[in-house]
Amino acid sequence: MGNKRFKMYMKMVSSSLIRRASRLVIAVLAIAIGATILSGLVTIYYDIPEQLGREFRSYGANMIILPEGDSTITRETLNSLREIIGVNRIVGLAPYRYQTVKINEQPYIIAGTDLEQAEKNSPFWYIEGSWGNSQDTSSVMVGHEIAETLGLKLGDTFRVQGVKYGEQAEASRQDLSAKDNQKRDSAWQNFSRILTVKGIVSTGGAEEGFIFADVDMLDELIGDTFRADVVECSIAANAQELSELSEKITRDIPGLMPRAVRRLTQSQDIVLGKLQALVLLVTVVVLIITMISVYTTMMAMVAERRREIALKKALGAENKLVMSELLGEGVLLGFIGGALGVFLGFEFALRVSLNVFGRAINFQAALIPVTIAVFIIITVLASIIPVRKVMDIHPAIVLKGE
Amino acid sequence: MFWRMITKTLIRQKGKMLMIAFTVVLGVSLSTAMMNVMLGVGDKVNRELKVYGANITVRHKDAALMSDLYGQGVSDKFLHEDDVLKLKSIFWGFNILDFAPMLEGHAELAGAGDVSLLGTWPEKHAVLPTGEDLHTGLKSLRTWWEIDGEWLNEDENNSVMMGHLLASRNNIHVGDNITLAGKSFHVKAIFNDGGNSDEKILMTLPALQEIMNLPGKVSTIEVSALTTPDNDLARKAAQDPRSLSPEEYETWYCTAYVSAICHQIQEVIRDGVAKPVRQVAESEGTILNKTTLLMILITILSSIGSALAISNLITASVIERSQELGLLKALGAYNWHIALLVLVEVMLTGLAGGVVGYFLGIGFAQIIGQTVFGSYIEIARMVILIVAVILFFVTLFGSIPAIRYLMALKPTEVLHGK
Repeated sequence: MGNKRFKMYMKMVSSSLIRRASRLVIAVLAIAIGATILSGLVTIYYDIPEQLGREFRSYGANMIILPEGDSTITRETLNSLREIIGVNRIVGLAPYRYQTVKINEQPYIIAGTDLEQAEKNSPFWYIEGSWGNSQDTSSVMVGHEIAETLGLKLGDTFRVQGVKYGEQAEASRQDLSAKDNQKRDSAWQNFSRILTVKGIVSTGGAEEGFIFADVDMLDELIGDTFRADVVECSIAANAQELSELSEKITRDIPGLMPRAVRRLTQSQDIVLGKLQALVLLVTVVVLIITMISVYTTMMAMVAERRREIALKKALGAENKLVMSELLGEGVLLGFIGGALGVFLGFEFALRVSLNVFGRAINFQAALIPVTIAVFIIITVLASIIPVRKVMDIHPAIVLKGE
Repeated sequence: MFWRMITKTLIRQKGKMLMIAFTVVLGVSLSTAMMNVMLGVGDKVNRELKVYGANITVRHKDAALMSDLYGQGVSDKFLHEDDVLKLKSIFWGFNILDFAPMLEGHAELAGAGDVSLLGTWPEKHAVLPTGEDLHTGLKSLRTWWEIDGEWLNEDENNSVMMGHLLASRNNIHVGDNITLAGKSFHVKAIFNDGGNSDEKILMTLPALQEIMNLPGKVSTIEVSALTTPDNDLARKAAQDPRSLSPEEYETWYCTAYVSAICHQIQEVIRDGVAKPVRQVAESEGTILNKTTLLMILITILSSIGSALAISNLITASVIERSQELGLLKALGAYNWHIALLVLVEVMLTGLAGGVVGYFLGIGFAQIIGQTVFGSYIEIARMVILIVAVILFFVTLFGSIPAIRYLMALKPTEVLHGK
């Protein structure tokens, strides 16, 4: 018995929807549009910290790792650092080694680094010429200040000289001839090499006073194995995640002193928070507008069927039955519209993300049931008031056509 | 007769028309709000990005950056403190939000040896010759500092703020007194910068000028300015302003490019060289462009959404009135009569809804502006035009399916009640 009734109910609901196909399309469209915009905006809202956070990495390294006391940072340390931070979150991780050298008998500082990683770390550097790389190690980049002082241009060469790592320089002596003194300078404990200017670095900051070279070349030049004075990391993370990360690094790799660059981490959180709040507010406004738009559509749909409902009532249908039928339609509409909207919304968010950030967006699987549920609720809520009016319908008056 | 029919319909069909008007109100308010926010977002986000600190530094043209590298190497070339306030008098002076002069120095801290000192305007109040009230200082340029204690006041020449690394190494706390170069100072605060300032002591400019015996001198000026992201013209000008044609030069000079502002700063600061801090200036541009693009896309899509919703409802409500319009046809009305009638009705309703929606939208935009950025969003007049044009076409296209349906209407069928 109950089964039969249910079958009849489903038949009434579905056939009433099919019969009025064109109106139905309009209603589903209204719901789907709302669901599309809503799920799209929510997806963007959740992805903003991730996507825009990466854009904020154009401000450069947000964590500096220094060796503590006498400990050194080796290649193994770098590898375990990479593991702890997680490869996905690292935008760039560049070790730096600073070495004083002489050019024209004046002291300058060479910074040896992994140039490919340094480029990822510092997208804001303006390079006249091009970035150096680890293949062509005798080509280096010089800071703008140095280039100006030494009168260097792109393609020019200069000679760097200095004392090898851990060795003592032998001072020139007055009682020796100039030739002898020159010989002493080129003795085994000293190094000397000709480098080519591949790029000139302008940053408006202290970097303009350095020479940037490949770290392996520098190590080989000064006759030492790899050892970093500092590691600059650019990590896609907020202030809280960074401080957790630095605790973890301190705990897991002894002898390291990670320091978050407060200026970048704090500021990023402030700006990102504002942007996220902006999208959230927009989403709320859109949600309200969607609800009202769905509501008006449902109103129109129910109002239009007064005659049909009156006929049903005249044939003996109870208010409860009529109401449950109308609400059932609402649920079905909300489901179809919501389901359609989720996928269109993801498509929309994906397009926005590809256009703005040039990256795909993560699909939030949880959004499917949530959006569908929200829109079933909205349609049902929107139907309730017009459906309640059904109770007041007097079959005789309506059917007479007044 | 025509107008009478229209007014009659509008009054009789109050419910229906109100519903259309209501949807229009919603759609228009959403689009208006989004467009205003979109047009204002660049400026707002730009101001938010000022928390990253100065994007321009000014130093003496002969003071090389390299002196920074050798620790205490303090240059003997200085700028003049009395030039600093002239920054507000340049063409883009209004875009200069905050600035602070800095003087570097060092002195003997009793019990700790030689320490680096920074003299600045912690806060500065001044009235400019133009009558503008100026409020600036380093406090606005170091928003990320974590302060234990309180910021120095404008003329607190006997107090200092101390970097937390230096303080903890020497076991100095807030409220202690220290002796610097033979003078006693009160430690008013300990700050955490997360950078190399953590090893320094910050004091007012006059106090350091007295210690270093450099009256009226400053070594650098930090400037935070609202700028337009660079384009090809700006890059060309940054290389050499003289390479521009006169028209290009004028465009460049009158646009708030960071290079143009630097150029103008150099015109007022004697012997000064203004350089953009690329880390801040360049990244600002990237983020601004991305945010604006994001907002444009969201705006376009939500406008499309509300346009569809409006035209949807118009179609639905016009079709509903098929009986009435069928009667008109039966009475001998031409098709174009009916089409015109429907269109004018819908347009009038749309207009009313549009006006209400526009003002509601402005309200929405202000709520967003207040909540998110804590400031008013400027109302762009062009939004009225854009929204009006969009609304016109939306109502027109929304009515087309309904009108086509009406054209095909057979009076007998309709009146019979099929």
